[in-house]
Amino acid sequence: MTLMLSVPLTLSNFSCYSPVCIDSSHFIMSLAAEAFVSQIAEDQILLSDCASSLAVQAYLRMCNLPVQVSYRPNAEYMSPSGKVPFVHVGNQVVSELGPIVQFTKAKGHSLSDGLDDVQRAEMKAYMELVNNMLLTAELYIQWCDDNTAAEISRPRYSSPYSWPLNHILAYQKQWEVRRKMTAVGWAGKNLEQVYEDVSQCCQALSQRLGTQPYFFNKQPTELDALVFGHLFTILTTRLTSDELSEKVKSYSNLLAFCRRIEQSYFEDSQAGSSSRGYSKGPSLF
Amino acid sequence: MGTVHARSLDPLPMRGPELGVHADDIETPDVEQETKQEVLENKDVIVQRVHIDGLGRTKEDYLTYEIADVFRAKNLIDVMKRAHKARQNLLRLGIFRQVEVVIDTSQGVDALPNGLDVTFEVTELRRMTGSYNTMVGNNEGSMVLGLKLPNVFGQAEKLTFQFSYGTKETSYGLSFFKPQPGHFERNFAVNLYKVTGQFPWSSLRETDRGVSTEFSFPLWKTNHTLKWEGVWRELGCLARTASFAVREESGHSLKSSLSHAMVIDTRNSTILPRRGALLKINQELAGYTGGDASFLKEDFEIQFNRRLFWDSVLSTSLWGGCLLPIGDKPTCIADRFYLGGPTSVRGFSMYSIGPQSEGDYLGGEMYWAGGVHLYTPLPFRPGKGGFGDLFRTHFFLNAGNLCNLNYGDGPQAHLRKLAECIRWSYGAGIVLRLGNIARLELNYCIPMGVQRGDRICDGVQFGAGIRFL
Amino acid sequence: MRSWSTPAEYLVWGAHCCPCPCPSGHTSDPMAAPLEMYCWKGDWGLPSVDTDCLTVLAYAKFAGAPLKVYKITNPWRSPTGVLPALKTAEKSIGSLSKPSNIIIHLRKQKYNADYDLSAKEGADTLAFVSLLEEKLLPALIYTQWVDSKNYVDVTRRWYAENIPFPLNFLLPNRIHTQQLERLRLVRGDPTLEPGEQLEKELYHDALECMTLLSQRLGSHKFFFGDSPSSLDAYVFGHLAPLLKIKLPNGKLQQHLNSLDNLRQYCTNILLLYFPSEGKEPPSRKVSVHPEGSDFDSEPHKRRNQILSVLFALGSMLGYAILTGIVSIQQVQAQPALAEPHHVDERGEEDEEE
Repeated sequence: MTLMLSVPLTLSNFSCYSPVCIDSSHFIMSLAAEAFVSQIAEDQILLSDCASSLAVQAYLRMCNLPVQVSYRPNAEYMSPSGKVPFVHVGNQVVSELGPIVQFTKAKGHSLSDGLDDVQRAEMKAYMELVNNMLLTAELYIQWCDDNTAAEISRPRYSSPYSWPLNHILAYQKQWEVRRKMTAVGWAGKNLEQVYEDVSQCCQALSQRLGTQPYFFNKQPTELDALVFGHLFTILTTRLTSDELSEKVKSYSNLLAFCRRIEQSYFEDSQAGSSSRGYSKGPSLF
Repeated sequence: MGTVHARSLDPLPMRGPELGVHADDIETPDVEQETKQEVLENKDVIVQRVHIDGLGRTKEDYLTYEIADVFRAKNLIDVMKRAHKARQNLLRLGIFRQVEVVIDTSQGVDALPNGLDVTFEVTELRRMTGSYNTMVGNNEGSMVLGLKLPNVFGQAEKLTFQFSYGTKETSYGLSFFKPQPGHFERNFAVNLYKVTGQFPWSSLRETDRGVSTEFSFPLWKTNHTLKWEGVWRELGCLARTASFAVREESGHSLKSSLSHAMVIDTRNSTILPRRGALLKINQELAGYTGGDASFLKEDFEIQFNRRLFWDSVLSTSLWGGCLLPIGDKPTCIADRFYLGGPTSVRGFSMYSIGPQSEGDYLGGEMYWAGGVHLYTPLPFRPGKGGFGDLFRTHFFLNAGNLCNLNYGDGPQAHLRKLAECIRWSYGAGIVLRLGNIARLELNYCIPMGVQRGDRICDGVQFGAGIRFL
Repeated sequence: MRSWSTPAEYLVWGAHCCPCPCPSGHTSDPMAAPLEMYCWKGDWGLPSVDTDCLTVLAYAKFAGAPLKVYKITNPWRSPTGVLPALKTAEKSIGSLSKPSNIIIHLRKQKYNADYDLSAKEGADTLAFVSLLEEKLLPALIYTQWVDSKNYVDVTRRWYAENIPFPLNFLLPNRIHTQQLERLRLVRGDPTLEPGEQLEKELYHDALECMTLLSQRLGSHKFFFGDSPSSLDAYVFGHLAPLLKIKLPNGKLQQHLNSLDNLRQYCTNILLLYFPSEGKEPPSRKVSVHPEGSDFDSEPHKRRNQILSVLFALGSMLGYAILTGIVSIQQVQAQPALAEPHHVDERGEEDEEE
């Protein structure tokens, strides 16, 4: 709930003849801001929010759009849908990857234009697979596993608030997620079954990826951004047990895929920066 | 025989002090019963006994403080005056439905020839009273259930509970009030509440859940209230189109503050005063007792009233306040001051003066506002002495300004900032007094000194308010 | 009642999962008693009116599982309290209600419709089921249970007419509030109000989802070649109600009708696998399974009688208490002279309160 992505005005000012330019001076500034504010995020952001935020960030980088990341302790409440991340362009605020993809598409930036109809249908379906299973599993592990909730999620989630609000809000959030799990039919599952689900989901993704560099041919799409965001975050986040990341690590093509996206879209531009805005753990390798 | 009923007074309305009714609001008719002034009139009398009949739960010793004065009476007129005062004291406690006074010559073996017995015949309020209301507002209906337990423990303690269940929001309040025996004005109250407010001028929704404790006491001619309040505030956007500046303020915060209020009020009425003055000073210090918000807030209100020719009244008032953040956190939108509206700077829309972003008003950290009013009775005075006295016509001149502080500049710069770009307005209208609580105004206003971003209400403006400039 | 999840076990990799290599293995197992399944009854030419029931029924048909199906209208008579429900032979499992669990169980009983799928197709199945659950199901729930006109004119009416008394006064409303609550939770917005904004968002997703399905299906007979798989069961379960139930606010239906291949696909499945439903006009009396109704009708009647008496007593008592409270409060709030009048009117029992 701490990450707000804001895309500078260049995107909305996009005029008919000039392509979107990356304002280099702006970029340096945004990195400085990242380095400065990631401290707050270090304390507060949770696995699932971090994954969603990283996915959006990867998507915007894939689109070659300049991004300035800003961390807010109340980002969850600022977002119009109550979910992070969101982008702020001009006077518009758009949250979550799906609507952001639509939004950039309306502004003339799309990664999936080259796909045919069947591929696009499959791409959307796999994106929903990630949302339906990986994201739900992340939420489950964060809030429904008592160990993780007590040792990681509640302390981190409540860190910006003072007593007694910190306890109230953390338990309120936990209660809400648990009710959501009931609504989606996950309440009866135990942790083992959830790990098994993650494993099956990764197997499906691995199967689909095969030996290709990206899910659909040579060019990344929003699906690649989404999968990268979740898998990379799972791999680089330390939880009470490393079982979750072990599940992902057993698929070598997914590992290579994450490494590939990290190298192409994050490392080159981050060379001089000591702090990474997009992950709180160490790099993948 | 020499029995005198001091009952001809208007029965006082059964309101406790929580409605803000001052004793001087109730215009007390003088004691004017045709007493059978027999031989007793100029004779010295001794009040031998005072009875209180009809007590149930109320502790008798608690009431002795209220009626002790009656014993000090020296002659009959004095007895009646003091008995009347005692009756008012009893009614003010808010625990009796009715109080009647009976004065009689003493009977019995030890009766002195000039001895009197005073009997207060009281009817207690029920142990519990309930009320049920439905309210319909714009786009929202709600049901309000109220429960009041006057005199819970027999010493004029009061427990009230109010629950409102609305189509959109539910809110509740629970409060416990305890006066000190013998000093009803010295009292203590604890409140527990949840309220939701919607502020369309800021596209903001605020839900407060809080606890507060208050201690009120009179000191010389002033009334003081010391208060601690702990509030969990939840701010959110009212609409998807809310500006980003308001979005940035969304979320949860905790305010814990100590505040002190001082009031001197010599006016004869709070709503349409004819004479007297008011001075109110309010200060709030947040942050030292925990919570996320830390600031110092100072606020004052002055009003003078003077009666002129033909029952007309000249009233001048001045408000001002400033909010100083402590530490490097900026102030919260919910703590800042707002100005404008049909009972403050007239001619401007509700709270629509000063800093704004995309049409959402963000409030200011410093403000002042002043007004000069000339109140006159209605022309030709229809309904004089009755309904017509609820109305006044008035001519007004209002001015004010609201801005943010910039800490780089000194206090002089702040004052300069408040002095430039002053918003002001003038006009005339009709005022209607609603009980002793609020007033309605229908004015024709001409706003002047309008700045960019202000929302004005040029021409006819209608509004209601408790606090007015 | 419905489940939104796709448990991963559901994904079966053809190569190593099926213990019985023969897809028609069930025919060689005559000893096993047929499994009992409880479903909402059908109408409008559908074998069942409920998405989950349809999914399970379709899967059972596709896999050739011999089920003894009780089509009922009282979820309280199901062994799990909700519909659908599958009564399994194993005591340790008991009864299952989640469609995914039922399908897994049927697969363990060697009724596997996904036997021929490749690993990649298995992955696609998982992905498209997720797509259905994330994008189409919320809109489906919205259009049937939350959209006021549809709910009042069609959904509530059907359930009120079919659920036995006195549950018919209770259940539709309860499902309605449950579904709204579920939408709120799934969308993560506790203040969600049914309205244009929500409808727009949900329908946008749903229309897109149907278009995507149509594109994926193309001119194939089923999603993976010529034989139906579990994905077809899920798609059928979600689309058939949209196609067949005539709703006053039928935006989703209109869109589905405009996608020829998808409409044809649903009609085909109905014709091929549920021929009896297609022929019967939407009559509301015949379709109840005889076994289901016979042995239950007598106790049911008595229970109805008892319940109705209880209900009548309860409501009278409730009314008495309610009016009692109201009048007491009024009396207290009013001045004393109103009191004797009220006491007279209320009579003895109220005075005791």
